[in-house]
Amino acid sequence: MTTMKVFRCPGRHGYAVEASPFLPNRLACAASQFYGITGSGSLFVLDQTETGVVLVRSWQWGDGLFDVAWSEANEHVLVAGGGDGSLQLWDSANQNAPLRVAKEHTQEVYSVDWSQTRAENLIASGSWDRCVKVWDQNLGRSLATLRGHEGVVYSSIWSPHIPGCIASASGDGTLRVWDVKAAACRLAVPAHKAEILSCDWCKYDQNLVATGSVDCSVCVWDLRNVTQPVSQLLGHSYAIRRVKFSPFSRTVLASCSYDFTVRFWDFGRRQPLLDTVEHHSEFVCGLDFNLHVPHQVTSLSLSPSSLPVVDQLKHTTHEVSIPLSLLGSLSGLFFLCNNN
Amino acid sequence: MNRLKLISGHLSPGGSAAPLPDLRSSDCGCAAPSPEDEVVVVHGRRTAIGKAKKGSFKDTTPDELLSAVMTAVLEDVGLSPDQLGDVCVGNVLQPGAGALMARVAHFLSGFPEKVPVYTVNRQCSSGLQALLNIAGSIRSGSIQLGLACGVESMSLRSMGDPGDLSSGLSANAKARDCLIPMGVTSENVAERFRVSRQQQDAFALDSQIKAARARDSGRFDQEIVPVSVTVRDESGRERRLEVRKDEGIRAGTTLEDLARLRPAFKPDGTTTAGNSSQVSDGAAAVLLGRRAAVEELGLPVLGVLAVVGVPPHLMGVGPALAIPAALQQAGLKVNDIDVFEINEAFASQVSALPSGRPSGCRRLLLVPGTQLISISMSPCCLFSLLWMLFSSSRYLLICSSLLFLFCFSSSSSPIGSSV
Repeated sequence: MTTMKVFRCPGRHGYAVEASPFLPNRLACAASQFYGITGSGSLFVLDQTETGVVLVRSWQWGDGLFDVAWSEANEHVLVAGGGDGSLQLWDSANQNAPLRVAKEHTQEVYSVDWSQTRAENLIASGSWDRCVKVWDQNLGRSLATLRGHEGVVYSSIWSPHIPGCIASASGDGTLRVWDVKAAACRLAVPAHKAEILSCDWCKYDQNLVATGSVDCSVCVWDLRNVTQPVSQLLGHSYAIRRVKFSPFSRTVLASCSYDFTVRFWDFGRRQPLLDTVEHHSEFVCGLDFNLHVPHQVTSLSLSPSSLPVVDQLKHTTHEVSIPLSLLGSLSGLFFLCNNN
Repeated sequence: MNRLKLISGHLSPGGSAAPLPDLRSSDCGCAAPSPEDEVVVVHGRRTAIGKAKKGSFKDTTPDELLSAVMTAVLEDVGLSPDQLGDVCVGNVLQPGAGALMARVAHFLSGFPEKVPVYTVNRQCSSGLQALLNIAGSIRSGSIQLGLACGVESMSLRSMGDPGDLSSGLSANAKARDCLIPMGVTSENVAERFRVSRQQQDAFALDSQIKAARARDSGRFDQEIVPVSVTVRDESGRERRLEVRKDEGIRAGTTLEDLARLRPAFKPDGTTTAGNSSQVSDGAAAVLLGRRAAVEELGLPVLGVLAVVGVPPHLMGVGPALAIPAALQQAGLKVNDIDVFEINEAFASQVSALPSGRPSGCRRLLLVPGTQLISISMSPCCLFSLLWMLFSSSRYLLICSSLLFLFCFSSSSSPIGSSV
């Protein structure tokens, strides 16, 4: 049974949602006025309760906000990227104004990501100015600027396995993998003939990256052999806005699209499409798995009347091929392996 | 625009890498239409205004009056009736607002059965409402050409039967007010805005003089359709005559004559038969079309429609609000208008208008309709329309009714003051 909780915020269109790595019920949402075309932006910190979704904190920003990332070091801190090219560091415990604002990008910041490798504590930002920038957790001056993309950068994500490694997706149709220390591009994959709006690393295989594109497909790439994708997932009827690998399964990922749906895939199966969720009434832009609660996915659409829709897909069973012991340590829950 | 362009680029099906070219803002379609979609007035005619119960149309059925004007309008421009998308007729007193009567008039005029007709009743504004309905149908693309008409015979029917009303009426103040005779509402306006008997009589006199001058100078000859009718006198004798001239204009009226009249609605009131409109018979028809269709058929374009509806606070003072609104919609200023025409049933209403006539306007014309048509003004507003069509000047027509007010503006040039 899919159950849903909805948070409504009139006049704001949701662009990104991320589940807190510390608090199982906490979400951060970046939203913009006027579909993000113009106007201001808002950042929301929300808690899920048994009955619904509750606002903990919200902030306003002078321009639209397009992405948000929680700190991996401090449960109260988050970073957001805005249409004015700035990154802001926010503290949900204390401040009304941001802790820090860094304005180096010359165009919209469409992606912010906080490195999951605890030792690193770095922030990556991807911008329409075609650059990816790396920052320390205090958002001082940027530590590196990665140039090379020939189109706007839509997504820049730290590898969860390889330190100092970022994957980026661009309007130039390429997926690039960067070595931050060398500030160089290690790999440029012409992954799609259309713009690539999102990418994400597999949490269980350091070689796998998924890309979601305007050509309506999600591709899974093995970086050791990029001549063709490991899997091509078709089903969406409009551009893929975001892809996210499951934190619980090597082959499961979720994608959300301008076709108003969220889809779940298992590329290990012959028929990879697991489920299609059609609860949204607008472009779905934000997507995240909950690290603490398996099968809980938050998706976010541009519809002003709803912020995150939290799906609990208890009815969907996935074929998993990870050791039970590892599963146990991650979630404390037991998965059923089921062949459909 | 850059964000819009970029995101729009994501939506091309199948996903090409190039974003959509040439994104620009465009006006919402419910604002000004493009020139070929404008609603234009092609032509119009009317019958003379007959004095009800005593005048030349007293024994004439409304379908005959309506048929006369419908035929005349189409014949004048050489348009075959099967080109009409719809016909709307304003009427008040006939049963069912004259739906059956109108269909009969259709066939009397030789219209083919596939041309539909319907009637509308918005009391005194019925004729004008018919105009707006047809304009709306054209604007929404349902039809290309339509005929808007109005007809009333106050000789053969009167306001007597209010219909089937709830007994709860008496407990509801507003519902009760619906039954107030118009004359009494005129008194209410006069009292509220302190319009004296003298002011009303002076206005009425002015109106009569102008109406007589207009009629005698032949200004109305072009628009009036002569109608051959039978009139029965008291002894039952019948005679045929052709009606060409408006009746009820009292050229020789003097202030003393008017002052002698007793108040008609309230013992100590100010509204008399002299400063009120008469009850009348008459019909009018106006041909409207979508500009592109009209030009394709080679028909003339006399004006462009700019309409503003103003909800009444009190019946009759709306023109003060409606004038600026309509001018703004037509993109005109007060000084651009050559003639302001105000149709009012009662002089009290016209006099109650604050600040009188706008400066810069060359004359304030009170159409004979002001003084000749009272309760049923269905054709009245159309009469004024026709006057305007033939006068080839920039003209702002304001009609009032029980319920609401309209401003209508036209322009001399076919392009017109654009809406």
